[in-house]
Amino acid sequence: MVAPLKKQPTLALIDELLAEQQRLDTPVARFSQAHDGGTASVPASRYRDLIPLTAPKPGEQYAFEVDLDSCTGCKACVSACHSLNGLEDNETWRDVGLIVGGNRAKPFQQTVTTACHHCADPACLNGCPVLAYEKDPVTGIVRHLDDQCIGCQYCVLKCPYDVPKYSERLGIVRKCDMCHSRLAEGEAPACVQACPTQAIRIVTVITHSDSAARVDTSDFLKSAPDPAYTQPPTRYLTKRRQPQNLAAADAATLRPQPPHWPLVLMLTCIPLAVGFSTAAALLPAFPEKFVTYYATNFSGTSPLPRALGFTRDASLLAAIAAIAGALGLSASVFHLGKPLRAWRIFLGWRKSWLSREAMVFGAWLPLAVGAWALPAMAPAAALVGLVGLACSTMIYVDTRRNFWRLAQTGPRLVGTAGLAGLVMLSPRAAAFALLVKLAWETRTFYDGGVSARLQRGPLRAATSIRDIFALSAMVLLIAAPGWLAIALLFAGELTERYLFFRAVDAPKMPGVPS
Amino acid sequence: MTSEMVLRPGDFGLGRVPARLAPAATTNMVCGFCSTGCSLKIHLNAAGEAINLSADPDYPVNLGMACPKGWEALTPLAAPDRATAPLLRDPTTGKLGPVSWERALAAFTEKFKAIQARQGKASLAFLSTGQIVMEEMALLGALAKFGMGMVHVDSNTRQCMATSHVAYKQSFGFDAPPFTYRDFEESDALIFIGANPCIAHPIMWQRVMLNTRKPEIVVIDPRRTETAMASTLHLALQPKSDLTLLYGLAHLLIARSAVKPEFIAAHTNHYEEFAGFVAEFTPARVAAETGVPEETLHRLVGIIAERERVSFWWTMGVNQGHESTRTAQAIINLALMTGNIGRPGTGANSITGQCNAMGSRLFGNATSLLGGYDFANAAHRTHVGSILGIEPSTIPTQSSWAYDQIIDGIDRGEIRGLWIIATNTAHSWIGHRRFAELRKKLDFLVVQDMYATTETAQIADLVLPAAGWGEKQGVLINSERRLGLVKKVARAPGQALSDFAIFKLIADAWGCGELLREWSSPEATFQILKKLSRGQPCDFTGIRDYAHIDVSGGIQWPWTEEDERTKNSGDHGASLSSDVGLLWSQLQQRRLFADGKFFTADGRALFLFDPPRPMPEPPDAEYPFILLTGRGSSAQWHTGSRTDKSAVLRKLAPTVLTAEINPDDALRLKISAGEQVLVRSRRGTVKAVAFVTPTVQPGQIFLPMHFPAVNVLTFPSFDPHSRQPSYKAAAVAVIPAS
Repeated sequence: MVAPLKKQPTLALIDELLAEQQRLDTPVARFSQAHDGGTASVPASRYRDLIPLTAPKPGEQYAFEVDLDSCTGCKACVSACHSLNGLEDNETWRDVGLIVGGNRAKPFQQTVTTACHHCADPACLNGCPVLAYEKDPVTGIVRHLDDQCIGCQYCVLKCPYDVPKYSERLGIVRKCDMCHSRLAEGEAPACVQACPTQAIRIVTVITHSDSAARVDTSDFLKSAPDPAYTQPPTRYLTKRRQPQNLAAADAATLRPQPPHWPLVLMLTCIPLAVGFSTAAALLPAFPEKFVTYYATNFSGTSPLPRALGFTRDASLLAAIAAIAGALGLSASVFHLGKPLRAWRIFLGWRKSWLSREAMVFGAWLPLAVGAWALPAMAPAAALVGLVGLACSTMIYVDTRRNFWRLAQTGPRLVGTAGLAGLVMLSPRAAAFALLVKLAWETRTFYDGGVSARLQRGPLRAATSIRDIFALSAMVLLIAAPGWLAIALLFAGELTERYLFFRAVDAPKMPGVPS
Repeated sequence: MTSEMVLRPGDFGLGRVPARLAPAATTNMVCGFCSTGCSLKIHLNAAGEAINLSADPDYPVNLGMACPKGWEALTPLAAPDRATAPLLRDPTTGKLGPVSWERALAAFTEKFKAIQARQGKASLAFLSTGQIVMEEMALLGALAKFGMGMVHVDSNTRQCMATSHVAYKQSFGFDAPPFTYRDFEESDALIFIGANPCIAHPIMWQRVMLNTRKPEIVVIDPRRTETAMASTLHLALQPKSDLTLLYGLAHLLIARSAVKPEFIAAHTNHYEEFAGFVAEFTPARVAAETGVPEETLHRLVGIIAERERVSFWWTMGVNQGHESTRTAQAIINLALMTGNIGRPGTGANSITGQCNAMGSRLFGNATSLLGGYDFANAAHRTHVGSILGIEPSTIPTQSSWAYDQIIDGIDRGEIRGLWIIATNTAHSWIGHRRFAELRKKLDFLVVQDMYATTETAQIADLVLPAAGWGEKQGVLINSERRLGLVKKVARAPGQALSDFAIFKLIADAWGCGELLREWSSPEATFQILKKLSRGQPCDFTGIRDYAHIDVSGGIQWPWTEEDERTKNSGDHGASLSSDVGLLWSQLQQRRLFADGKFFTADGRALFLFDPPRPMPEPPDAEYPFILLTGRGSSAQWHTGSRTDKSAVLRKLAPTVLTAEINPDDALRLKISAGEQVLVRSRRGTVKAVAFVTPTVQPGQIFLPMHFPAVNVLTFPSFDPHSRQPSYKAAAVAVIPAS
């Protein structure tokens, strides 16, 4: 029998100190505060003057009021909001930006705290396809209903102030609710409580005269996106004379937007499907030589289609339309954070183009599949598909982003459909159409705007790839039309759609350079 | 989903809190970032673990507020890259790998003892920090100097507060910032020199905003900072012309007869020489050298002359300069000559940087012997030796080399072993490329830190994993001399140990554990430090124990046994009104020198001055810009070793290095906003993104100091008295990157 080894003194000390390290001060309540009841609350005197005493009257709502002369950029409001609302590690509902201007004699800078403006005419709410936003009838707080959200992130695109934030973990969007449950108890919102210089307060403002939402936006921040769109009631007050040339400190920061790959795929496949679907419906109306070309090269004599049984009729076009349509709509599902809730997507049809698009394409897909089997359904499929495409276009136009204006979104989406409609009938016409489309897109490369700078800067490579695909497709369509030319054409359209998402100018409140 | 966002009453004096983070108890402790010393209310779960926090509404420092770093103070503790075991560099693979504490201690002692055997005791040095608690600093200083025989030790407080320390010590006889934060509220004119409290000390700025006396707020800073925007008068002087400006103000005050002869006669020395010296600083000369118009000088002097309570506040813009000690003393001189000291709302007040810079200044055992004593003074050595129960002969008879001298010592081969504790030299030291080079001259480098990922830990031979703030106990001293408590509310990860425990282990392994037997715990050490403070200006013998600090809302030094017995306010020298509330608030806000007695031998403050010297590396044709550095965001701290661990704080600071440049310069150099530029100095070139803004003057470039690239550029020059590096003046060139 061996006696247990006696521990070296140092080893014993290591063990002792490691054990001691794991003992907290607090379970023994040595220092923890022995508060008994649950009645105590933050001393209200600290913010009594910073929240309204009474609820808003009809035609009024709560709004943030920021005293710019007191906001000095400490950013406590951002982290207090984060901690007191228990947000995700990287989730923030408030932000502090910077505006600069003036001249050598009078340089000027101003920090700006900003959160959701709880707009009188909220774009997020108006765009939501599942009615996951509500504007509180009494307080006017724009609340996001987390349980309703399907994670489509359309509100993120709609809001001109970059307020709603998508959570990967939760698969939904969340945003500032003005701490409505605190206000309901007479407690100030977290940011109001936490501002060391009392720069943020809650005030009551008039939002409606008669029934139209209209607030006095003369006190809205000058270097922020135009308040006319959503009627933000936030007031930014200052006694300082602000220089004319004030601009956001991050105005020059180029921020390529997320590609949203499922949407890139969907927005390539769907117009393509609608194009083929329309070509299928209109086949009899095309000039005879186009139809002959199609029959000779694709439907009639080409080995693969012939092997699959497509002869001289529109069924190849209709088949491609149905398959591409199904692929596109399937892709769109992968965009959603909560796809199982997507059945509700029709709820917002009165205001949301996204609802309308989903409903129309929901109806269209069976028609498109049907038209594959029954050519008689082709005109209906084509018609509904074009309506759907119009809805798709409007989804982006309705965000009021410059790059997504009707004059760009329309030609791009409808252009893809047109190219699809022509490419199997007249490659030369398709090549010409592609040339026109490319020229039209390229206008956004030369206008000096945000999207131009994005395409010339961080998105230069993608822009070049788009051009190379398009130009080589054009050459092939004329010199050696066939499947390779078609593949290049749609690879080019896919790249264009990628740029459509990445190069968009996304407005926001002033930030800091990064 | 919705349930994630439900709030419920938080109890414990809290408002509503997230239901999933509802506390079972709370406890208050001071924040471990900056020297403001805010109290945070830590929310605890049933196991006593910290789960959230809010600002303490009842603390006399922060009055229920915190800056973003404070709100995020717990987050860096949970970072995935915490050091969880000692790491030793394997000589064959050259990689750091985990080892046991036993092995780590053996490596530490064997390597360091071998170095000392070869090169002498003084060939070992340490560089520590203002970020650990006072008890740990003192234990480290005692262990290193009395136990291990080190001579040269210093800390990163050299980079921030050495100037204030030396300036006060020379002028007042002791390193004693005289103010209390109430002075922000009680001042008629606040003059900020090289300070941007809106960003650097937001909670102090809160106190300024609570001032109801319609104060003049004067900011002296080359940049149009956030604080300059909020000022009533901004003097955008030329960089490093502050000493000339301050002498010019003294000149004009004398010319206006705005000085207080009675105060000067009763409480100061060398005023006449000073008055003679500033005679040549005429407004015309000062205006020409500083770029501040004469009429602005007169306006500022009018403010100082006419307002009853004038307070002067300075921080890094002054402290980090090539003649910083005299600059700080030029500020002290202004306060002395106008009698703006010892009264509410007055003072020559240094705003400190790190959470425990003030503790380090008293107990770092580097420049001064523990407790503010003098190594060179035999009586002091005997006194300290008797309190600690050690032979006075074990106490070195000279003070340590400063940080830069230790670095030079490495270069000369005299320092061969270096121990770095809770600082990030490879990032923060001025002109830091040289440090990376010098690393090769060290036989053994030990880094003790919360993270093994800091630039310095990455080049270490041995990394010791440390517990952080919130994982240990101890005292921090803030800018206004307030002792505040840190508590253990979170478990350190893996094998990480508090710095205190690591020092104890090293003492044991080194064979000097017996020498430090009395230093058995942080609180036992606190009792030793109390004894060391007795009779010193910083006497805090009236503080019973940690619990006393905890219930008192922190306690400012001095707090003697006599004060505790009589509850002396220290402010009026007499007992206070019977109004308990008033009594309490006055006890919590105490300032020094109400009686005009300073800590010099004759009780008089000194006017100290020297002629200004040109900046050591002025701009020239090749490097035409002056590089300014400073705090870029309230959300960044030091080298980001902790603040970068919080996703929220990362969001609140620039993610890329931005170079602020005036629009005139940008136009001339064809640099557009958002464009990549190269900033070049004689020491290197770095890439930055141009931020075109008129808030920096033409001919100047501002870079936020938190990016490692910045100290590639800075020019290593040092104040001759404080040895503090001059981070805010280097000659650089700027060109577009493409």
